[in-house]
Amino acid sequence: MNDVVRVDGLRKAFDATRRSPGIVAVENLSFRLGKADAIGVVGESGSGKSTLARMLVGLTRPDAGTIEFDGRVREWRERGRVARLRRAKEVQMVFQDPYGSLDRRLTVEVALRDVLRRHQVDSSAADARIAELMDSVGLESRLLASRPHQLSGGQRQRVAIAKALAVEPAVLVLDEVTSALDVSVQAQILALLTDIRARTGVSLIFVSHDLAVVGKVTDSILVMYRGQAVEQGPTSDVLRRPQHPYTEMLLSSAPGPGWRPERVAELRAAFAVAHDQ
Amino acid sequence: MTIEAHGPVAVATTRKAAPWVFYLCLGLLGLAVVAAVLADWLAPYDPSATDFSALYQQPSAAHWFGTDQLGRDILSRVIHGARPSLLGAIALLAFATAVGVLIGTVAAWKRGWVDTLLARVTDVMFAFPGLLFVVLVIAVFDRGPATAVIGMGLAFAPVIAKFTRSIALEEMARPYVDAYRLQGVGSVELCVRCVLPNLFPTLIGYLVVLFGEGLMSLAALNFLGFGAQPPSSEWGLMVQEGRGGVIQGIVGPALIPGLVIAVVVVATNVVGVRLSDKLAVKA
Repeated sequence: MNDVVRVDGLRKAFDATRRSPGIVAVENLSFRLGKADAIGVVGESGSGKSTLARMLVGLTRPDAGTIEFDGRVREWRERGRVARLRRAKEVQMVFQDPYGSLDRRLTVEVALRDVLRRHQVDSSAADARIAELMDSVGLESRLLASRPHQLSGGQRQRVAIAKALAVEPAVLVLDEVTSALDVSVQAQILALLTDIRARTGVSLIFVSHDLAVVGKVTDSILVMYRGQAVEQGPTSDVLRRPQHPYTEMLLSSAPGPGWRPERVAELRAAFAVAHDQ
Repeated sequence: MTIEAHGPVAVATTRKAAPWVFYLCLGLLGLAVVAAVLADWLAPYDPSATDFSALYQQPSAAHWFGTDQLGRDILSRVIHGARPSLLGAIALLAFATAVGVLIGTVAAWKRGWVDTLLARVTDVMFAFPGLLFVVLVIAVFDRGPATAVIGMGLAFAPVIAKFTRSIALEEMARPYVDAYRLQGVGSVELCVRCVLPNLFPTLIGYLVVLFGEGLMSLAALNFLGFGAQPPSSEWGLMVQEGRGGVIQGIVGPALIPGLVIAVVVVATNVVGVRLSDKLAVKA
């Protein structure tokens, strides 16, 4: 099968000097993602999942390893407009903070038009495309004249998704997109993303601390702990039969039916022993 | 909101004023601007016309603010002085802003050694008294209003550069800047078209407060005789020319332009603080 994304041996350390290895955020990480597939990257804070997301989209440069989009290895030295625009079509990202991820000066329409113009959609086609984008993220066209501060968190996140989709990327990275939203809005956004994936064939990478959220919308899951992939496999398997004690711990950390705090502490202790061995 | 302007000039800390104070200050500023624009029509006398039969007159119906040592009408001179005084401060600020915003933005954008170099250069400028720096500039070049404005502008630029750098750094850490990058926006366009316009609301409020400082600094320079030259009726120069009378107990010719400077400076501070609050768009 043709993979849209191939990541091999990715590594990133921060503040590394000659004397100290620094803080290793991501270590020897590899995964594959097929067209229109969705993968979940799960882990607690500091597990390296956000660093992974930033490396995937090119905001952070890895120390080692390769990232391929559609068989093309990402070259970090490549500069210039053509390379920038091509990269933009490879992958886009939606950020956690719906309040900071939109330019507060621009109305929704101006922001969308700006993206389309940059990617050479001429202005007559842009009107139709803007209407289509608004429709696909479930926003009414009257909101086109609104500025970010006039929109709710869920609406802003929809605008951010529309902006990312305007580029027509092959892959969409979603970094904790639902964390800042309340539960009912979370569900709507997740449903929207699943729908968009089915319609457009975009591949999704969900980065989240919430295994339950990711479990609902992905085909496979990659569990990260201290920069490493501790478990990787089809979502149903990972959720039903977690192989790694850390995954089990993540699963039982989420308060749900039968949740007991002491069970989490037990697992955490058991996991610490397993990890140290 | 509190705005502090550390730099070659004094620290200006202003509290939010009551609405009527704001409108009073806005009115006073408006009055100064009207005087600057319509001086030829508003002034009752020619500002340079001397009258040796009426030296050091007390305020009267004929001369509302009295006359100076050459018998010139002080009111007319104050009105005519608005133009060089305000224009000088505007030119000073425009020059300092162009230099400061450029340096501050480049420092925030490039980081690394560029940032460090610019930080050290601005630190040196900070350590140097602004007025002394301007006197040096004037010693090298010619004395005159243009040199005073450029010299003072160079002394103000580091303050604006530091301020711009700090707000630009904060702005560039916002995710929307990353979002622009991912869309394929190049670095220069990112700075100029995406980040800078978002800095303007904060910057403008700060600049209005600095305007008062600039006006005062320029007046001080003119008082020392390094800027505007007679027969100009620039306010700082008027204070200097009126100084002679103070010894004889005649304070009007020095006090009145001095008060005008003080009023305009306070008014711009009050208006500037309110303006920066108003312009800060909800994020």
